Amino acid sequence: MISFKNVTKNFGSINALDNVSFEIKPGEFVFLTGPSGAGKTTILKMILRDILPDTGKVLFDNNDITEIADRDVPFLRQQMGIVFQDFKVLSERTVAENVEVALAVSNAPQEDWAKRVSHVLKLVGLSTRSKLFPSQLSGGELQRVSLARALVINPKLILADEPTGNLDWKTAEGIMELLEKINKEGKTIIMATHHEGIIKHAKHRVVELVDGKVTKQ
Amino acid sequence: MSIHTKTATDAIKRSPFQAISAIFVLALTFFVATTVAILVYASNKSLSYFETRPQIIAFLKNDSTNETVSALQNKLISDPRLKDVKYVAKEEALEIYKKATEDNPLLAELVSPSIFPASLEFSVTDLKLAENVINEIKNEAIVEQVGFTANIGGEKSLGDVVGRLKTISSYVRIGGIVFVIALGVTSFLVLLVIVSMRMASRKGEIEILSLIGATPAFVRSPIIIEGIIYSLVGVLTGWVVSFILWLYVSPSILSYFGQIPVLPKDPIQFFLLFAIILGVELVAGLIIALTGSLIAVKRSLKKTR
Repeated sequence: MISFKNVTKNFGSINALDNVSFEIKPGEFVFLTGPSGAGKTTILKMILRDILPDTGKVLFDNNDITEIADRDVPFLRQQMGIVFQDFKVLSERTVAENVEVALAVSNAPQEDWAKRVSHVLKLVGLSTRSKLFPSQLSGGELQRVSLARALVINPKLILADEPTGNLDWKTAEGIMELLEKINKEGKTIIMATHHEGIIKHAKHRVVELVDGKVTKQ
Repeated sequence: MSIHTKTATDAIKRSPFQAISAIFVLALTFFVATTVAILVYASNKSLSYFETRPQIIAFLKNDSTNETVSALQNKLISDPRLKDVKYVAKEEALEIYKKATEDNPLLAELVSPSIFPASLEFSVTDLKLAENVINEIKNEAIVEQVGFTANIGGEKSLGDVVGRLKTISSYVRIGGIVFVIALGVTSFLVLLVIVSMRMASRKGEIEILSLIGATPAFVRSPIIIEGIIYSLVGVLTGWVVSFILWLYVSPSILSYFGQIPVLPKDPIQFFLLFAIILGVELVAGLIIALTGSLIAVKRSLKKTR
């Protein structure tokens, strides 16, 4: 599903990714791990085509996403669900509206919204919070909103950038349980984390990065 | 309600003073635009009224026969410099006099048709030709005297009246258009600033939307809808205020100008005139809203990227 082939990216004199190559198959759950600045987020941003590599190829479903036109980038992103460390929920919209936005963005029929939002909020355990605003939610609940927004569009791939980074252990465990559940339903998940406990506990494939190089796959 | 319309109306509710200032400036612009449009209409109508009056009257001698009058009339009709040639008999002249002195019937009672000369009334295709035509007509055997109609504001001839009206009309038109353009540019800039402020305040939201796959059209739609709402409300407010004002003053204006049709006397025509102005203003308002919003959005999205 995802394939990095000899990808290199420099930010000025900083070598963010150095000749990185790896492949992720459909349905896999892969941890991208390594210390801060190792290149985890750079990889996720490249899959989102938020940044382009200096050299090499990034393939998504065998299509080189470095070559797609700018106008097609939104359609690429609509096939992915994204979960951020800092949640990135829309503060002026309710929980349900935050999830609806993803459906609106992907042009889902409006008559299906209520059903799909209700289903996904139930899945992440936020059914009773649907009318609340982000300022009325805890960190764990905000991350669930972010996860619900990622899931509602039924994406092929979920990218999670340190989704447990801002959460306590118990809440992080809850989010991991959800991601495991989603993975079992057949979704491919790429999760950037440096949380050793989570990696050991989950027992999934690990792609380890150090100074922009893949040190372990 | 679509998600974009809801986003736009929520944004208006959250920043009511921005909305009020945009609507106020647009309303002022379109109030002035409506008023200027009516003034231009009135000046054009009065100009057209005077331009279509018979400009020259050849008073005929009492001893003129029907044959000589017909011969002169045919000669005038065949002259390419002249138009609207009309014969006014003595009786008709008395009727015109009676109508003109209807406030004082005693004046009409004292006269008989015989004291009014018959006349040939006509206009020239170009006022520059008037002097030559008058001199030629004066030399006709059956013509007693040649006169000009209007004598308004101390003017000696209709040409002067028309000339003065043309000047006034062009002042109204040019001055009005310049003023409306200045206000239109101000509205456009105010809208540009407000939309830019809105984009700046939505920067975080735009980044999130972009990351989850929103197309540029999705991002700009609420902003453009917001601009259109400001514009439509501004146009309608300005137009309604101006319409009420003209509705209020039109009886006095119509009475003051009498025969000169500065405003339509028929209510349907009056409403139709304002409906046409509203239609044009709605189009202008939409153009201002769309261009202002699109420019601001494009600039802001460029900065965001």
